[in-house]
Amino acid sequence: MASNTIEFILNNRIHKISNPNPNETILNYIRLNLKKTGTKEGCAEGGCGACTIVLGELIRNNIEYKAINACIAFLPILNGKQLILVEDLMSSDGKLHPVQDAMVKFHGSQCGFCTPGFVMSMFAMYKNNKNFNDEIVSDSLSGNLCRCTGYRPIIDAAKSLNKKKYIDKFEKFKKKTINLLKKIRTKNIVIKNENKTYFAPKTITELKKVLKKNPDARLLSGGTDLSLEVTKAHKEIKKIIYLNSIKKLDFIKNKKKEIEIGAGTPLITFEKFIKKYYPDFNNILRRYGSVQIRNVGTIAGNIATASPIGDTLPLLLSLDAKLILDGSKKKESISLNKFFISYRKTKLKKGQFIYSVKIPIYKKNIFKAYKVSKRFDDDISSVCGSFNIEINQNKIKKIKIAYGGMSEIPKRAKKTEKMLINSIFSEQIFNKAINYLKNDYKPIDDMRASKSYRMEVAKNLLMKCFLEVRNKKILRIN
Amino acid sequence: MKNNNYMQVSRPHDSAFKHVSGFAEYTDDIKEPEGTLFGAIGWSKKANAIIKKIDLSEVKTSEGVVSIATSLDIEGRNDVGPVFDGDPIFTEKKVEYYGQPLFAVAATSINLARKAVLKAKITYKDLHPIVTIKEALKKNKLLFNIRKIKKGNPSNKIFNSKNYLKGNFTTGSQEHFYLEGQVAFVIPKEDNDLIVYSSTQHPSETQQIISKMLNQKSNSITVLVRRIGGGFGGKETNFMTSSICALLAKKTKRPVKLRLDRDEDIIITGKRHEFYSEYEVGFNDRGLINGLKVKLASKCGMSPDLSVAINERALLHIDNAYFIPNIEINNYLCKTNTSTSTAFRGFGGNQGMMAIENIIDCVARYLKKDPLEVRKINFYQKNKKNITHYGMKIEDNVINEIFDKLVKKSNYKKRVLEIKKFNSKNNYKKKGIAITPVKFGISFTTIHLNQAGALVHIYTDGSIHLNHGGIEMGQGTHTKIAQLVANSFGLTYDKVQISSTNTSKVPNTSASAASSTTDLNGAAALNAVSKIKANLEKFIKSKYKIFYNKEPIYNNGYIIFGNRSFKFENIIQEAYLNRISLSSSGFYSTPKIKFNKNKFFGRPFYYFCYGAAVTEVTIDTLTGENIINRVDILHDAGNAINPALELGQIEGGFVQGQGWLTMEEVNWNSKGKITTFSPSTYKIPAISDIPKKFNVEIYKEGINKENVVNKSKTTGEPPLMLAMSVFFAIKDAIASIGNHTISPIIDAPATPENILMSIKNLKSKL
Repeated sequence: MASNTIEFILNNRIHKISNPNPNETILNYIRLNLKKTGTKEGCAEGGCGACTIVLGELIRNNIEYKAINACIAFLPILNGKQLILVEDLMSSDGKLHPVQDAMVKFHGSQCGFCTPGFVMSMFAMYKNNKNFNDEIVSDSLSGNLCRCTGYRPIIDAAKSLNKKKYIDKFEKFKKKTINLLKKIRTKNIVIKNENKTYFAPKTITELKKVLKKNPDARLLSGGTDLSLEVTKAHKEIKKIIYLNSIKKLDFIKNKKKEIEIGAGTPLITFEKFIKKYYPDFNNILRRYGSVQIRNVGTIAGNIATASPIGDTLPLLLSLDAKLILDGSKKKESISLNKFFISYRKTKLKKGQFIYSVKIPIYKKNIFKAYKVSKRFDDDISSVCGSFNIEINQNKIKKIKIAYGGMSEIPKRAKKTEKMLINSIFSEQIFNKAINYLKNDYKPIDDMRASKSYRMEVAKNLLMKCFLEVRNKKILRIN
Repeated sequence: MKNNNYMQVSRPHDSAFKHVSGFAEYTDDIKEPEGTLFGAIGWSKKANAIIKKIDLSEVKTSEGVVSIATSLDIEGRNDVGPVFDGDPIFTEKKVEYYGQPLFAVAATSINLARKAVLKAKITYKDLHPIVTIKEALKKNKLLFNIRKIKKGNPSNKIFNSKNYLKGNFTTGSQEHFYLEGQVAFVIPKEDNDLIVYSSTQHPSETQQIISKMLNQKSNSITVLVRRIGGGFGGKETNFMTSSICALLAKKTKRPVKLRLDRDEDIIITGKRHEFYSEYEVGFNDRGLINGLKVKLASKCGMSPDLSVAINERALLHIDNAYFIPNIEINNYLCKTNTSTSTAFRGFGGNQGMMAIENIIDCVARYLKKDPLEVRKINFYQKNKKNITHYGMKIEDNVINEIFDKLVKKSNYKKRVLEIKKFNSKNNYKKKGIAITPVKFGISFTTIHLNQAGALVHIYTDGSIHLNHGGIEMGQGTHTKIAQLVANSFGLTYDKVQISSTNTSKVPNTSASAASSTTDLNGAAALNAVSKIKANLEKFIKSKYKIFYNKEPIYNNGYIIFGNRSFKFENIIQEAYLNRISLSSSGFYSTPKIKFNKNKFFGRPFYYFCYGAAVTEVTIDTLTGENIINRVDILHDAGNAINPALELGQIEGGFVQGQGWLTMEEVNWNSKGKITTFSPSTYKIPAISDIPKKFNVEIYKEGINKENVVNKSKTTGEPPLMLAMSVFFAIKDAIASIGNHTISPIIDAPATPENILMSIKNLKSKL
């Protein structure tokens, strides 16, 4: 039987809400219903981190702490999780948590409005890592904007935690929390709130059933894009099917010739895995969005939204990834290259969902990907270029080139590829190839970049790829 | 006895504990009483148009809507312009920018209010919007007459100079992006009195604007501000939110909360002025400037707001740290169909300084000299070359000392050679380095604003309640002024309770702006303290028959008259029983300043702040991406009250300036619609953008020659300009592509796009 009640843990107590509004954000629930105002709204789109909260999730009998943006997360996704807020970090005798104490000692707050968000991101970092080097610190905090401090004191505060040995209350009460989490283990959820319905099936069979009856429902995965319809456009989403309760969609299978990634796999899990196969894929994913976004965002979500600048898409295109679609009919496989139709339109039919993504492993190939944006972290690309090349005896045997930000959908540079295939791998040919790109793309002007800059960068990235391969050297400043 | 000293002490921000634990209360965090309504603003979707019809029928019937306010509800002044009219609360006949408020609703929830305003049907007759400075100049769309400043005979000196250059330069706009957006919460009381909580840098003007709008006396409006989540100038004159909120509260007779969401905040409210300059400069072979002519135009948006004062500060800072004997500036205040440009840290000073720094850089590159040398020979000197173009004698010049010290400290000369070597070996990565000075004048240039008030009470238990006119916006003014007060009474810091800024406690305050908040309000608080002390001392002397002619010492909880000492808490109790006043207001007005605006002559500044920065960058010549490898800063904070807080201002200011000059780009399309209105499209620096090495030092020899609290110097605005070195380091890296034979052409911000296009342009000349 499906339940209409979501359950979550707050301060080691089970909280229940029956038929919550599925369009309500966790942030509004915290501020307006729980009347806890430590968590702030800075942007309502997951772009500043002021609303960062931490969710504790039971995974393999342990709790994983995930920082997320409460401003773009819908309330029902709390189901089965532990909710941790900035007000709850202090110990019962009023002592600050080490991360809070460090922020005070290092003068990490000025106006203080971004501070609770930083504290929560730092708390998640503290719980999930053993030491805190530059890379871990900047990755953990890249989704939090501060306009006052210039970040240096915050970085110092985070690094100072290396010396701390401290058993916080979450560690102390871990067993109790785990038991509570076990008690509220996810069940099928069906919520009806006025004119809105929300389904969170637990299995693929149930998903198919729900989807068949509600082909007009919107599929919700990480929700980092979909939720903006509510928080920014002030629209209602009447029917939602939440995919991330389905354990069977959260998997990575490593076969010999390909990797298969379940649609519900969070990007943060996937990026760690892909590193050994395609290091550049990992680099791009870390810049795809903040930890808060990557904790909830999924690769299938990125594909299904079909944004022209979705950063995983050019990479997957040049790797010639395949999608496995499932639904009321039989599973089908489709090449990603054929999946995108036009601006934000795909071949995903009503009643269908993405089951997995298959990425081939090219043992002989060189794979390179570059993202160019105004800001290094958490920015949308002006141009993202991805190159997959097989060279044999100085000849280009195969080449797959794809760009994001160059047309209304991310797509391959087929004409340029054709020109390069079977050519000698030489500067001369690449100098010629860069001028072919104009046959593949007609980029546009927008607030991120002009069309002339986009074309110039696209050319230069192809050239950069050539230079890096030829010189066997990474030519990047970051 | 231990000598307690609370000055030069790096104690944490007074709210740090509350910040990190989530208990610091901001305006939106105030718990609403039963029956509170929530507001939303309906605004224009056109940048320049005649309003033909506003149909609000569907808004009225929208779920949860309790009331609608339009211009017809405004009994008094329908304008929030601080100095000049031009910023209607609700425009009636025409709209002049995309985002201009037209009406507002109060509804039972914030979501319902926001949904309701979307249902308005507005018909417009489109007019052509002016979006750029260039078009405004071409069509002579100016807010005021051209202002001409002249000293000496620049035309003649330029003509007779051996070398001559001309060019143009633009610095971009900037969105404040304070993390807490505009918000107000208004509670109606009896007799039409209103309690206004607002996230503002200027409670007194909020009070005045609301009272004028409602046709009520100022004494019926009380404005309270405990803290704001960042201001940076963006909450100095943006009275739209609090005014509309007050109007809705008065109309509905219910408490109303009005908070703009991020998009609306960026769309509706003003930003930094974009500046465009054209210059002609004459100089000798060493780069010494003989004469300079500048046309300085700024994008003011649709109304005057503070544009006159901002442009004036640009005129007053076009010298930065340089003695320019002959100068002429023609200043154009362009009217554009964009939100009204407003105050932003630096307040025009930074734009003026960038104009001259670019000229100096161009002169140096023309002469194939290290810009460092050209900067140095043009610096103001101590005993000669020390009169500014507005006739002020500079008496506190330390720029030469700071510069020389920093050149050594940063190893500048050695690194120039290392960079040269690096660049000769690398084609696709190029490094650049630059050192730039800052001289920034402190005081409001509108003289009457240089005043402040405070209120200090001592309660019978010896605890102290402190109130003053300054706004706590992160800079730590409350912490610093509490330190001053505690120190002055010889008490520990925890004896002083900081309280909300409140127009009913301290009236007629100036905005927390112009870097002057602590200087002015700290002095006012000390004035209050000195009055209470005088009462106490008189009482003690007469009661205990003390004949002691020197000032008593306040230390460690005691008041000491030579060999007699009195425990502070005891004597307070005694004073109370003997009917001695333990409370006083305090007042301060800055001495010495005097400025004739018509003649552009006098002493507009009480003192100057100085600093310098060396920045080294690497650029990617294939993409235009850039990183900051290292920054060295030496900055004068005088005798700092709280070095940690000053350091925070210096570093934070630098990174904000870095954003202004590198990645932050405000974009309007040709129809005048702003297209960068959220963090996904408008990028402020994030954690990995800051310098990889960031060496910041406060100038140890620093001391304020003037009688400012603790002999300190403010660190509010000046550090922003240290980031000019980032821009010129990038320019230096671009120049290295042409082996420093060609001066690159690049405007600010130096985005990856602007850098790559500048490289392309430079390569085409090789």
